[in-house]
Amino acid sequence: MAHAAAGKLQGFSDDQIWYELAYVAGVTHALNAVADGLGLPPEFSPSSRTPLIGLPESVRPEAAGLLDEVAAFYAMDHPPAVFRWMARDPGFFQGYWGATREAFVDRKLDRPMKESLALAASLTAKSEYGVDFHLREARRLGLSEQGLTETVEVVQLFNTVTKIADALQLEPDFDPRASA
Amino acid sequence: MEIVRLREPHELEPEDQKFCEATKSWFHVDFVPKMSRVLLTLPAFGRPYGRASRRAMSDGALSRGQKELIATMVSAINVCEY
Repeated sequence: MAHAAAGKLQGFSDDQIWYELAYVAGVTHALNAVADGLGLPPEFSPSSRTPLIGLPESVRPEAAGLLDEVAAFYAMDHPPAVFRWMARDPGFFQGYWGATREAFVDRKLDRPMKESLALAASLTAKSEYGVDFHLREARRLGLSEQGLTETVEVVQLFNTVTKIADALQLEPDFDPRASA
Repeated sequence: MEIVRLREPHELEPEDQKFCEATKSWFHVDFVPKMSRVLLTLPAFGRPYGRASRRAMSDGALSRGQKELIATMVSAINVCEY
């Protein structure tokens, strides 16, 4: 809560920014939970992981078209495994992919910033699949090595203070609706 | 409820009281955040942590505002109320 307030004091006073951050948090955390929970191997890095389930060899035509769209969105030559899993149920896949795409497209926050946020979420959740995926995406969309260093430093700092706050059960002292 | 008594700013070392004033300015608030008081309860911990924090949170390749967004994301994933 303190950092939402601090962010607002840094000029991010538009609630739309915070809604967008929340959508990225939710979708990223959910996709990471499914991918890591099912043991899906990272898309871009070597891994000894063995999936706990089999991915569909073929999918219904409506899902195949969506998988092509997903691969194009991420500039991949194949759709990410977590979406291939979802394609087992085309109706669900259509809805969830639509939400995921809209959570990550440029709005008040641009897509590169959203990928940096997704990387931070994945690092914090210790998601092997998510760190691999969003590290590649953030770099592909322009995150520099200096930007990566700074992102990881912030993640490290605030994983420190959130645990200190939790250990001492600190109650919030910032007004989360404060603005500059 | 907090499980410890938090030191008031005037109970901190004089050097750290100055840091607390700078912190108020940094956050544009008129109070010393609890976390600053917690970190400086052990100055040997809080002072170097504070230096690292200021360095990492200053404008760089990412703006300070963008870094506050990342900090908020970490807090959300960790379900940290503070």
